[in-house]
Amino acid sequence: MKNLVKFFHQVGKLKEMKRTGWVIRGIKNSESIAEHIFRTSLMAWILGSERKGINIERVLKMALIHDLCEIYSGDITPYDSILPKSKKEREKLLKTWPRFSSKEKKRLSEQKFKKEKKGLEKLIKDLPVKLKSEVMALWMDYENGKTVEGRFFKQADRLENLLQATEYWKKDKSLSQTSWWDQARELFDDPFLLKFIEEMDEKFHKKSKPII
Amino acid sequence: MDKVTFYLTKEKLGELKKEYEALVDFEHSKIVNQEAPKVLESEDINLEFVSFQEDIVFLRSRINELKNILEHYEIIKKPSKEKQTFVGLGAKVKIEVAGKSDEFMIVGTLEANPSLGKISNESPVGKALLGRRVGDEVIISSPIKTVYKIKGIKYEIS
Repeated sequence: MKNLVKFFHQVGKLKEMKRTGWVIRGIKNSESIAEHIFRTSLMAWILGSERKGINIERVLKMALIHDLCEIYSGDITPYDSILPKSKKEREKLLKTWPRFSSKEKKRLSEQKFKKEKKGLEKLIKDLPVKLKSEVMALWMDYENGKTVEGRFFKQADRLENLLQATEYWKKDKSLSQTSWWDQARELFDDPFLLKFIEEMDEKFHKKSKPII
Repeated sequence: MDKVTFYLTKEKLGELKKEYEALVDFEHSKIVNQEAPKVLESEDINLEFVSFQEDIVFLRSRINELKNILEHYEIIKKPSKEKQTFVGLGAKVKIEVAGKSDEFMIVGTLEANPSLGKISNESPVGKALLGRRVGDEVIISSPIKTVYKIKGIKYEIS
């Protein structure tokens, strides 16, 4: 029981931790990691229920644990290794989705995976073996997209992020949307989620479309 | 389960077959002998096996998922020489977006991993690139216009 108290206490830190993507763009009062997890879980459950062959219990558990590693690893973004110090240069870079060579993609991806896995292992090390194995197996599935749930949830997670970016843009039209939409159109392939994105585009961009 | 075709590279097919056989073995041992066989060495897979040990329903559903894939797959093969000038499944495509270079490999949904440059043939960009050639400009426009200029196409699969 003592170990569970410690675990939940650590998890609570996610309520205070801001998502890096918004912080580097200077968005005030931006969402915390816990807030992102909350809506992602709802989306995974409700949108997952519309899809055939998805085990909702599994996808929900995956949603709840997918960013726990960030308590120790921090919220890593693809911009981290290339973010310029100058504000002007940084703003310019953040208007685009970062492009890397195949070699660099592999290196960055492995680096992120190692750091996050280490973070998750540290967080769950004192949990009962059964629970520890379940959390780690779910996270590995999310990372590698092995099962239908893993592949679906990876996209549901990005969908929440895309929706949040669109909502911030509604408040401040100078927030570039290119990086999210470029990423989305290269990543999403679930027909139901693609339909959802189309609906989002229609709802939010009826009066004006983002230009950058 | 849906009767769709899963496009797989040879490597992925081998991986899935291996997993399927190991899981069927595991399930059999669990039911018949009531014990877990020591079938796999990988740390990651062992962790899953601990999970499967607790969750027989999930084990069965994963076996069914794999069985469905193995019954409805098509291997991604190198196209004929004439067709190699077009983007198809398995192609590595060099592109230029907003003045920056990138490279994608077009794969089936099971192997898609955009962080590693593997784009699903069912994603909007994957779909739009299929059938195009070097020099073509592929435009994806809603809500933001992005132009993908195709700079090179190669097939490294056998």
